[in-house]
Amino acid sequence: MAVEALPARVPSRLREALISPLTAIGVTLVAIHLVLALFSPWIAPYSVSAIFTDGLTPPSAEHWLGTDQIGRDYLSRLMSGGRVALLVSAVGAAVAVLVGTLLGLMAGYLGGLIDDAIMRVTDAVMAVPELVLIAILVLTFGKDIAALSVIVAIVYTPGVVRVVRAKTASLAALDYVRAAELRGEPIPRILLMEIAPNLGGLLAVELAIRMSSAILKISALSFLGLGISQPTPDWGLMVQEAMSVVFTDPWFLILPAAALSSLIIGINFAVDGLARAYGISAKGTR
Amino acid sequence: MSAHVAVDGLTITFGEPGQQRAAVDDVTLKITQGATFGIVGESGSGKSTLARALLGHTRPGARVARGHVDLGGTDVFALHGKALRTFRGRSAAMVPQNPLSSLTPHCTIRQQLLELITLHTPLRGEAALRRVRELMDRTGLPDPAALQRRYPHELSGGQRQRVVIASVLVAKPSLIVLDEPTTALDKTVEARVLALVTEVAAEIGATLVYVSHDLNVVGAICEHVAVMKDGRLVEEGKTRAIFADPRAPYTRRLVEAIPILKAAPPPPTGHPPQTVLAAEAVTFQYRRRGVFKRGGPAVLNNVSFQLCVGETLGLVGESGSGKSTLASLIAGAVSGHSGTIRLQDAVLAGPARQRARALRRRVQMVFQDPLSSLNPAQTVGEIVGRPARLYFGDTAAQAHKKSVALLAELDLPAELLTRRPRELSGGQQQRVAVARALAADPDVLICDEVTSALDVTVQASLIALLKRLQRERGIACLFISHDLAVVSDIAHRIMVLERGEVRDYGPRDQVIASPETAYTKMLLDAFRATQALRQERAREALAS
Repeated sequence: MAVEALPARVPSRLREALISPLTAIGVTLVAIHLVLALFSPWIAPYSVSAIFTDGLTPPSAEHWLGTDQIGRDYLSRLMSGGRVALLVSAVGAAVAVLVGTLLGLMAGYLGGLIDDAIMRVTDAVMAVPELVLIAILVLTFGKDIAALSVIVAIVYTPGVVRVVRAKTASLAALDYVRAAELRGEPIPRILLMEIAPNLGGLLAVELAIRMSSAILKISALSFLGLGISQPTPDWGLMVQEAMSVVFTDPWFLILPAAALSSLIIGINFAVDGLARAYGISAKGTR
Repeated sequence: MSAHVAVDGLTITFGEPGQQRAAVDDVTLKITQGATFGIVGESGSGKSTLARALLGHTRPGARVARGHVDLGGTDVFALHGKALRTFRGRSAAMVPQNPLSSLTPHCTIRQQLLELITLHTPLRGEAALRRVRELMDRTGLPDPAALQRRYPHELSGGQRQRVVIASVLVAKPSLIVLDEPTTALDKTVEARVLALVTEVAAEIGATLVYVSHDLNVVGAICEHVAVMKDGRLVEEGKTRAIFADPRAPYTRRLVEAIPILKAAPPPPTGHPPQTVLAAEAVTFQYRRRGVFKRGGPAVLNNVSFQLCVGETLGLVGESGSGKSTLASLIAGAVSGHSGTIRLQDAVLAGPARQRARALRRRVQMVFQDPLSSLNPAQTVGEIVGRPARLYFGDTAAQAHKKSVALLAELDLPAELLTRRPRELSGGQQQRVAVARALAADPDVLICDEVTSALDVTVQASLIALLKRLQRERGIACLFISHDLAVVSDIAHRIMVLERGEVRDYGPRDQVIASPETAYTKMLLDAFRATQALRQERAREALAS
């Protein structure tokens, strides 16, 4: 016989958070950008590298947003402009979260010398301003997609380590971790089965925040000529190209900037909802 | 006598419109001037919400849907701004559960009291300082000259609560509301604080409203009592009448669950008694880190005991007595003691990780807070099945089968296996924690304050369950608690610890009938008093 009635199931916190309008806007924006990034070669009206005219032309029936300085279809390039940045930041941030989580778990749980070693290296990397660090790494590793992904991973791992380490240390003090220790569970099992699953929401928020930051950084690099290079379409690069015609044709600056902003805003709105759902302060990790 | 406080059809709701939940549901009651009135209920019964409403306060998100509260002719919900602030403090004051959160951390005790004196009385300068000293004397705070200059965090829990009481006395309010003021305090401190509260309330002629989950305490200090459940008033009347003859079935359960010194549990099975766990001259101190690695003060000093198969040893002590440290040493959560702890023929020493797996299996522990001891990311099935997989190398299917059987043994429905801990009630969580410990088929079960996070009725059923399991399985149990009444219900032998030293140790009846030290006597007296009160009331009820 049951002692008391079964309490009702607790509704999913994630579903509750998605009901908020700002979160819905964020998720919609991100979804649009993801579809464009994945399928733009098939959706876009023309190839991004095909040359149609001698130079700048105004919008027309064939080219809805006109053509750029060397006569390529501007709409097609705008639609594909986030592909590389998104890919590089997604891969880089994912690697940073994975590596950062493992290091953070070890530092936070084991403490002592291992903690000191991991955290001092982390501090050293974080002491270098991000953009300077990225510039140095680009000069070292080059600027193809693989190298840029590695660079993003290197730059964002230390931040993840810090956040995961702090959370791990607070979780390690809880009785269920103590119970596992008293049972004599092996350390990897304690880290991966007892502690890591409780980082879930935090890691999702970390991944998204690092990604949005990485996208901005890569665009800045491309603008400076250190990132993605021609003929690959990229918003940062497009802003840079627009600098010479900014007073005559300002939409060449406004359109890629707006595309970039909508992606970043979308990610941040979505993250805020996610963070609320898991009760994490998104400000603290940014 | 006229009613001092009149609550009329009060309904307070929480939540969004459309899906509101009533925390206080249509409550009507009257409290006469100068009365001592208790409001009793378990967590979530709405007793604190009702108590706050008496001061015209509602928590954020709460809404007074219906009814009103009238205090000495004033409708408290009609007050706003300055009128409300003057009303609180002068007419009605509150002593909350956690004194630390109601004292300003960066102000000394003197500053806190002075601020209130200037706010509520015409006293200034030297006269105000004199009043601070008077208040501190009155509330029994030691050495007022030195204590005035301390900050709240430099005081003990009992002293903090005395400061809060002193600040309540500043304006001599006509109503004092106390919300579980002693829950965070040890039993002996609790008794002294309660005595002080009733004394000063009588002195200034204030009406006292005392909110508590503990019917025992309420019975000791209140003439009237109201019992709340799910926001509703279940029963209300003279304390004597309710103790002697509870009408509502819920009140009867509460009264029956009052921890009193009960009859002895049946003796352990198995003859002759066979020792399973023995500690001999165990001494322990935490090592200090730093250049001078001298030891800290001894947490345990020369502690010896024996625990037999099928027997429960009750370990009683207040916070800081070393009882949890002893449990940690046995389980291997801390290490580095001198003396020996033996599990049958094996010696228990060093941290759990360094012990043999078979040895670890034989000692299992259940923790105080069930929610913190169960991993929120795992299902009950994973939690309860884990020991079988770790210790016996079971397959997932075998472990599942054992878990189903264990849950049935603990009166838990099998559907719980797919649930996560936060979807369970407190009582169910603690049963799951017990199930996890039993899954290892241990020789010794350590229960560290397992009932203190639970409501009284749930507490009683968990104790009954533990007694039954012990009878059926013949497990030896080390039962740690600050509550002598709970221990007397389950233990065959009792050991009393104070500041790391054994004050009393012996068979249950011997310790209770003739305690060797004044300390144990003091612990016992608290329970004896309420027990005598109950018996007296039962006799009175029979006579009338």
